[in-house]
Amino acid sequence: MDLKSLLEAIVQGLVDRPEEVRISEHAKDSATVLELRVARTDIGKVIGKDGRTAQSIRTVLSAAGARDQRKVHLDIVD
Amino acid sequence: METNPENSAVIDAADEQTQKALTFVGNILSAMGVNARVAFDGVEQSDSGHTEVKLAITGEDANVVIGKKGLVLDALQYLVSRVANRPGAPRRFFNLDADGFRANHESRLGDMAKKLALRVAKEGKVVTFDPMSARDRRVVHRALSGLEGVKTESSGEEPNRRVHIMPSAATTPAAV
Repeated sequence: MDLKSLLEAIVQGLVDRPEEVRISEHAKDSATVLELRVARTDIGKVIGKDGRTAQSIRTVLSAAGARDQRKVHLDIVD
Repeated sequence: METNPENSAVIDAADEQTQKALTFVGNILSAMGVNARVAFDGVEQSDSGHTEVKLAITGEDANVVIGKKGLVLDALQYLVSRVANRPGAPRRFFNLDADGFRANHESRLGDMAKKLALRVAKEGKVVTFDPMSARDRRVVHRALSGLEGVKTESSGEEPNRRVHIMPSAATTPAAV
């Protein structure tokens, strides 16, 4: 299970400029940390109203990570 | 029945927004590596008058995408609506289900509401639900609409809005 590909699949659908999506992944203790960068104009689209889109992305990532007993932390870098 | 032009348009699996939604969910399922697939499952006219596109996930790992209390399924459904509805196009509503989870949940909720309504009619007391989503509140309203002796109302602000079942003669729940 590849969390980075999963995040990519989600974010590519949300943004206007998929070619500017950058994701880096590193492990920290028992967690996987994903750092997401998107075009400045797309930041609002991955965060959403009241952070609801970001929250939904985190819920899906956590469900996927839990299958491998991994915690997942998502950083949206602006 | 009168329908507006958007609703009278035929929506099938070939519909552009539906295709976008199916591709998106399919990509997520394969990236998650779960044994599950998604398919177009027809359209339904909701009681608020809009057309809802139903998508159904099936497969032995469907429980993974449902999650505790359907939270993962709700998150996926929200993301689907963000992805398929881009600015400029008419809004399309999606109902994403997995192994009948949402359908079962709503049928249980409707049955429970009917049981509670009998008690309200008999005892004349108001029954108040825990806070629920707009969708679940609608299930209760719909299950009891037209039922003799009781009426339903909602009160409170999101996300703490609650449905009350009360005797037809009662005044607003704010006074309860």
